[in-house]
Amino acid sequence: MTRQNWRQFDWLLFLAILLVSIFGVIMIHSAVKGDPELVDFPKRQAVYVAVGVALMFIVAAFNYQILRTFTIPFYVFVMALLALVGALGQTIFGAQSWLDFFGLFPIQPSELAKVVLAMALSGYLAPRLDRIGDIRVVLTGILITLPILLLVAIQPDLGTAIVLAVEAAFIFFVAGLYFRYILAAAFLAVLSAPLAWNMLAEHQRTRILIFIDPTADPDAYFNVKQALVGVGSGGLLGKGYGQGTQSQLHFLRVRHTDFIFSVVAEELGFVGAAILLFLLFFIIWRLWRIADRADEPFGKLLVAGLTGVILFQTLVVVGMNMGLLPVTGLPLPFVSYGGNAMLSLMIFIGLAQSVAMRRT
Amino acid sequence: MTTRTPSSSSRLWVLRIITIIIFVLLLGQLARLQFFQGVGYQQEAVVNRTRVVRVKAPRGIIYDRDGRILARNTAAYNVVLIPAELPDDPDYAISQQKRRALYQDVYDIIYEKLRELQPTPAPTPPPPDPKITRLVIDASRPPQPSVLTVDEMDQLVLERELGSAFLPVVVALNLPREVALAVDEETYRLPGVYLQLQPRREYPSGLYTSHIIGYMGPIPEEEEKAYAEKGYAPDAWVGWSDLEYQYEDTLHGQPGVRVLEVDVKGNEQRVVDEPTQPVPGHNLILSLDLELQKIMFDALVAGVNPKRSNSAAAVAVDPRTGYVLGMVSLPSYDNNVFADGITEEEYRTIVDSPGYPLLDHAISGIYPPGSTFKLVTASAGLQEKVITRKTILNAPGIIYLPNRNFPDNPNLAQPFVCWIHKSGGEHGDINVVQALAVSCDIFFYKVGGGYPPADFDGLGVQTLADYARLFGFGELSGIDLPGENAGLVPDPKWKRIAKGERWVTGDTYNMAIGQGDVLATPLQVTMMTAAVANDGILYQPQVVAAVTDAENHLVQFNRPVARRELPIDSKHLETVRQGMWYAVNADFGTAPEVALPNVEVAGKTGTAEFFDPQLGRDLTGNLPTHAWFTAFAPYEDPEIAITVFVYNGGEGSLVAAPIAKEILSKYFELKARDEAAGAKTLLDQLEEIAP
Repeated sequence: MTRQNWRQFDWLLFLAILLVSIFGVIMIHSAVKGDPELVDFPKRQAVYVAVGVALMFIVAAFNYQILRTFTIPFYVFVMALLALVGALGQTIFGAQSWLDFFGLFPIQPSELAKVVLAMALSGYLAPRLDRIGDIRVVLTGILITLPILLLVAIQPDLGTAIVLAVEAAFIFFVAGLYFRYILAAAFLAVLSAPLAWNMLAEHQRTRILIFIDPTADPDAYFNVKQALVGVGSGGLLGKGYGQGTQSQLHFLRVRHTDFIFSVVAEELGFVGAAILLFLLFFIIWRLWRIADRADEPFGKLLVAGLTGVILFQTLVVVGMNMGLLPVTGLPLPFVSYGGNAMLSLMIFIGLAQSVAMRRT
Repeated sequence: MTTRTPSSSSRLWVLRIITIIIFVLLLGQLARLQFFQGVGYQQEAVVNRTRVVRVKAPRGIIYDRDGRILARNTAAYNVVLIPAELPDDPDYAISQQKRRALYQDVYDIIYEKLRELQPTPAPTPPPPDPKITRLVIDASRPPQPSVLTVDEMDQLVLERELGSAFLPVVVALNLPREVALAVDEETYRLPGVYLQLQPRREYPSGLYTSHIIGYMGPIPEEEEKAYAEKGYAPDAWVGWSDLEYQYEDTLHGQPGVRVLEVDVKGNEQRVVDEPTQPVPGHNLILSLDLELQKIMFDALVAGVNPKRSNSAAAVAVDPRTGYVLGMVSLPSYDNNVFADGITEEEYRTIVDSPGYPLLDHAISGIYPPGSTFKLVTASAGLQEKVITRKTILNAPGIIYLPNRNFPDNPNLAQPFVCWIHKSGGEHGDINVVQALAVSCDIFFYKVGGGYPPADFDGLGVQTLADYARLFGFGELSGIDLPGENAGLVPDPKWKRIAKGERWVTGDTYNMAIGQGDVLATPLQVTMMTAAVANDGILYQPQVVAAVTDAENHLVQFNRPVARRELPIDSKHLETVRQGMWYAVNADFGTAPEVALPNVEVAGKTGTAEFFDPQLGRDLTGNLPTHAWFTAFAPYEDPEIAITVFVYNGGEGSLVAAPIAKEILSKYFELKARDEAAGAKTLLDQLEEIAP
């Protein structure tokens, strides 16, 4: 068993995450100001951050190789939760993705799914890296991914399903998947696009259509447009904290979650938004470093998958706020309001730190 | 074990490079939006959060000379729903249930109250007089209150929610005040239901004055920019015709402006700038006398045979000032139909009616003036010494104008007849006064064009045309109403260009009696008569005599404006006036029936032939004729000059003159009544304080 070493703990990464999370709480405070229904959201988010940091340390303290042995029961447990959500979850914004146990804390199993998928797929591929060219290995890896992905997709939470697919792709990629398989996957993706289109829910199609042609549905385009105006009107230094007209006068909707980046860019300007982007970049960079320096494949693949998730969500959410990508409803890592996202991210980071600390 | 697989390490470097690319891309887009497109987005953010609220300024009121209201502002009440503020529920079914209950409430309140107010059904009105319906397009109806059904409300709200849910949906229109108040009392428990006050222009004198007052409408598309620059709100109404149009700038006032900061629901957050207060428009005080106007209107409607004439006009001015006392054009229309917005169909009905109801025939219609023009020929003849007061000319029923090239061939000579020739008569040896009184055509042929067989030299076309223009023919009178027509004074140059023909003496003959190509408006004829009556001053006719502000302080007083003093000796004009006196007061005159017992009237008839392809000629080959009569009174110190014109009316003496008599006799009755009462008109009072 490798020795745990707190000196190997990535304190710089931790500091960056703490900064971004606190920054998130501060921006959520500005975003929900004056809205009586959301008034305690900043406080709640602060609690999530605190709990998340504690959770991160706890996870980091565990040897991730020990956690690995719980992969199968954990996988089954998350699958069961996802199935349960389908049966009795609450509908939020057209997706049944919340499970509220005893009315205590609403759980979003799809967030946990990101963690368990990374563990399961990495756990399967890590000992088989030398046989990665074997089609059976690849197919088994896909078979591990698909059930969980489909359960999320039928909720329907398309955004998270795509995130899971991207996560798996990152793990496969780092595991050394042959380029012919990558090409084949890309080919299959293109072929199945029309099928996927038919499977999409109405609001999802609308979002994509708006992205392609903003004038198709002026009402639905409203949100994207307002986010763009928010970002664009920020200028170099912004309108000042709590002074963004787009957010404070509620032109921007879901501004504490989906469009939090627009609030940052409007109120703190290019400087604020660029600092935020730099911190997120720094976090991802440090995570790649951990993956690169991991001395055994499971930890490497695990961290690569989780980092891929963070990178992808950052790209999609920031891109969406600036009109580069269609609206998905994903949270901006560490910044957007949301307990489940924050806690599962902190579990990610805990796992990554655990990997970092257990190098020989 | 230290198994750093080289393959996974290189792949991680690929991912790092991808990471860098992604963040550079995001940063680039951020810079693009904030720096390169920043100004545009900043403006959009400002547009988003600010609303310019215009507080409409009350439009000026239009009064007649006695202060009677001709145009005023009232209000219509509408009930509107704001979809975004209606009851809502995440469950669509519950949401719909709540909303429909609310629609039902709104409907019930309005419907019940309307029924309560409903008067017992009025007895069916008598069938309209067909004579009046032809000449008067009376499409006016009091604005009918209306309310949508629950289903209609539901439908409209659902449709509006697809667009902007913050814009009001009108669900009830033109509610009486009582109903509006009943709704207002209940709005506290009806979220999203509002009362809307719709300013409305009202014309109490309706079809009597529609051609003077005009009407309003939304800003025409092609003038949107010009009005916006003047500070008009896009939904403002503007004058479309007549005084409402002509005096738009005076009547309109300045709307107040408040710039608000609003949230996404349009809720007022704060006032950005100091609001400016609306400045009410100025009032117009007309020289018009509404009582006289109604008399003229009624007399014209009564005196015109609608089976024959599709239009008619009457104009009365004060010859001492040029002020318009009354001006009527038939067919008339009720301008109130425009107040609530008129449908395309209704508009077409009015426009396409025979006689063009929207046209003011008194200023826009041009017709041969006929014998009324002899006042010009007589004045010119006397002043140019073609004749004197005592010159006697022989006037047989018919004369032959020798052919220019073959003066000795009687077969080629052109015959010119007098109107009396039709009945086989002739006027014999007469002077100018008699010629005016009997409206002898031969006499004026000779004065105008000369008579070569008798070596008598006439005025000639140039001199005659010059005098016609001096009297205001062929030029705009400058009346303060839009759409005036200048008419036409023909001369050789005009004929060469317009018809490609040479001017001949016969043309001068026709012109001398107001036929041929001379065209004039009834207003021009009236101004000529006024100039004869006032001893030679041609005034600019004016409808608006004074302008006051909202507190009724005098802003402007429009003094009489003389266009020119006619270069005609007073004694010659007196001679012409005598001719007009005899026309009315002598047994042999053309209009003896116009004579009034207490007031001496002087006038001139006109029966002007015209060509209309649809009317053609009658069985005996005669052209149809317009009936004219122009007069002034009293003979000494004239104070009213009047012209009556009836399209295709026939004989001026039989059709137009009786109408004029009716108008004049009623006018002097009114005058006697007012003098007995001794009250001063509003206009008199304003004139006294005017600088």
